[in-house]
Amino acid sequence: MSLNRFNQQADPIVRLSDISKRFPNGTLALDQVSLEIPRGQLLCLIGLSGSGKSTLLRHVNGLHKPTSGSVDVMGMRVSEASNKDLREVRRHVGFVFQQFGLINRATCLENVLSGALGRLNWPRFGVRSYPKQLRRLAFDHLDRVGLADQAYQRADTLSGGQMQRVAIARSLMQEPQMLLADEPVASLDPESSGQVLELLLKIAKEENMTVICTLHQVELAMGWAHRIVGLRAGKVVLDRSAVGLDQRDVMDVYQRVDVTGAPTSGEDVPASISNS
Amino acid sequence: MVDQRRLSPPFTARNVKLLIVFVCYICATVWSWLYIHMSFGGLFGGISDVLNLLARMLPPDFYQLSGIISATIETLWMALLGTTIAVLISFPLSFGAAKNTTPNRFVFAVCRGIITMTRAIPDLIFAAIFVRAFGIGPLAGILALGLHSIGMIGKMFADALENADAMPREASESTGASKWQAIFSSILPQATPTMIGTALYRLDINVRASAVLGLVGAGGIGFIIQSALRSLDYPSALAAVSVIFIVILAIEFFSSRVRASILGERSASVVVVRGQSDRAVRRTRKDRTLLVDAVTMRSLVPPMTSDRKSRIISVWVYVIMLAVALGTINMPIFSSFAYFDDAWRIVTQLVPPDFSTARSELITGMSESIAIAFISTTLGLFIAIPLGLLSSRNIVVRKAVFVGTRSMLVVLRGIPELIIAVLFVSAMGLGPVPGTLALTLVTAFFMSKLIADTFEEVDPSPREAIFATGATRIQELFGSVLPQAMPALVSQILYMLDVNLRSSTVLGIVGGGGIGFLLLGSIRVFEFGTTGAVVLSIFVVVYAIELIGSWVRGVLEKAN
Repeated sequence: MSLNRFNQQADPIVRLSDISKRFPNGTLALDQVSLEIPRGQLLCLIGLSGSGKSTLLRHVNGLHKPTSGSVDVMGMRVSEASNKDLREVRRHVGFVFQQFGLINRATCLENVLSGALGRLNWPRFGVRSYPKQLRRLAFDHLDRVGLADQAYQRADTLSGGQMQRVAIARSLMQEPQMLLADEPVASLDPESSGQVLELLLKIAKEENMTVICTLHQVELAMGWAHRIVGLRAGKVVLDRSAVGLDQRDVMDVYQRVDVTGAPTSGEDVPASISNS
Repeated sequence: MVDQRRLSPPFTARNVKLLIVFVCYICATVWSWLYIHMSFGGLFGGISDVLNLLARMLPPDFYQLSGIISATIETLWMALLGTTIAVLISFPLSFGAAKNTTPNRFVFAVCRGIITMTRAIPDLIFAAIFVRAFGIGPLAGILALGLHSIGMIGKMFADALENADAMPREASESTGASKWQAIFSSILPQATPTMIGTALYRLDINVRASAVLGLVGAGGIGFIIQSALRSLDYPSALAAVSVIFIVILAIEFFSSRVRASILGERSASVVVVRGQSDRAVRRTRKDRTLLVDAVTMRSLVPPMTSDRKSRIISVWVYVIMLAVALGTINMPIFSSFAYFDDAWRIVTQLVPPDFSTARSELITGMSESIAIAFISTTLGLFIAIPLGLLSSRNIVVRKAVFVGTRSMLVVLRGIPELIIAVLFVSAMGLGPVPGTLALTLVTAFFMSKLIADTFEEVDPSPREAIFATGATRIQELFGSVLPQAMPALVSQILYMLDVNLRSSTVLGIVGGGGIGFLLLGSIRVFEFGTTGAVVLSIFVVVYAIELIGSWVRGVLEKAN
């Protein structure tokens, strides 16, 4: 069986086998991580900043390559794929960034259209360089996120929540099998956070997309995720179904002291403190 | 340990380095002064000679007006075509010369190398060589402008690409876009406003430059000025100078307006004119209706808002001007390709450079150029500081004073330096002194603007604090304004030295001293080996000064 046969219907859709990532500056961002993600699962990654969540997401669509181990996405070995194969995978994997990644000076429509580049051949510049049927499609996607009325406004005239919705429309333009979201609501105020996340999940469910999402707000995650994976210092320290998960397990990931006052971290309490 | 306290600043490595630079600069200026036998007597005598000449020029005589106008138009077309060529070459070049878009290190080095080379060799030198290859006429001038402008345009384009936010590109690549798709749809749109602004700014500079290219026979109005002066027809020369002068000012005004509107900044003069005029309000309202219509109709083409309309009109104006330029300029476009053989022959004769034939002239010429650069920078600085102070609005209290000084400087900056040099040489005779004087004035005009801008940027709060201690205005100037402005001032002096060195290498072409004289002579007598040696020496010296300048700036930026 060939390792590199792209198969949109592959299940599990993502398989990470023992991946480790050491950055050139020496930081070990991921340490022997293994995960299998079945098709259609809504998976939430939690952990402190710097625990490796974003790095892990970026391995799934090949923006980063692991130092060791392998990454398979839809049957393709992403960790060793050629640029051409990587683009093939990325076409089917949407990515939503914390900072949106919009081109500020371009109109919303053009930003959404850029999601179709993977299907097109030549470099494009400006709305009119895209085929008409794609422009129509882009309008539909903007409609879906409720921003068709802003189609010809510059992206930098929008609010943060609207910008992220444009970024979601851009991902929809790819017609993805899977959505990776890296802190999609971390730069938004609480109200638009809720709206954006709700929109993201509604669309994901309608399209039967697999979602891997990193989040800071644990309460938000518990509400919708099928599965919660916690990372600490690049290691998986929690991997459970969200059903029946209690606050204490989650807090453990953050190495916080929980409400009962007992330290929940695995480390020994320093003698001086326990004596006093 | 009170007695252990230092009562004078410590000799940190940075301070020692800066002290050495300062001493070297003073020594170089003194050596320069002695080398070209400058004297204050000569200076003031020179000024009275120039005033005499100006008196003989008045009133300007416009009997050659039709010739002047057609030469002016030719000058403009040369600038337009030269800039267009430079942009066409610089655009692909900049993708190779920007760190975030270059395919590999080798391409990067080659592209950066081309940019540095073309920047270091003055356009007039390119023009002098091309006149030999392509014959007298505008073609040589256009190619010279085109080639030399790559240095600046290519660098600014590459910087614009490098300054683009990397996030949209990552987003684009993660949708499966290829490298070049991502660059074109996410990096390029961020860089285009800067690119257009740069091209317009360069067009502005090139109009000035092409006004003097005629001095070496490369077309434009410079030729008329030169021949009028040679035949002692001073009133006619003044007529030509004043026409091109007005055109240059007009273009500068126009291009700064357009640049301000593209880059979204409004220049000071525009703000006053604006406010919310009825027309502006109506336009905004109409734009809004267009936008709403477009989205409700699901229009697949962007609506024709006033911004878009003016952008499209500008493109068409440019295309039409380009067509007119190509159609009317006195230049055999296709048959000129035949000349490329000649050009190639000359290029092959430039290498290997021949340093031995004119060895002593080469050394004296180069030394003279360096001396002229140092003296004119230093003297210019002395004139520029008071002028700069007078034109900063936060230092001079009376509005009339700074507005008056500013406008006078804007007008004076409009005169191309070589035209000033030509006038001074006709008044005072050949030699480095008139050349130095001309460059000194240009430095003063240019630098006083830089200095005024620097003064206006200083933080006002320390000034207030020093005032509050009971200091006089002069004490406050030395105690709070100068220390804040110092690093910027030093880097401006270095910049002017760099600019003046480039200028002083071409002064000799109009008889103003320096290596340009040998350069023109060697071209005239077909000693292209020597020409190659001169060009190479200029490149080395200019590049060395640039490296020294960036080193000093690096030292300045360090905290201690």
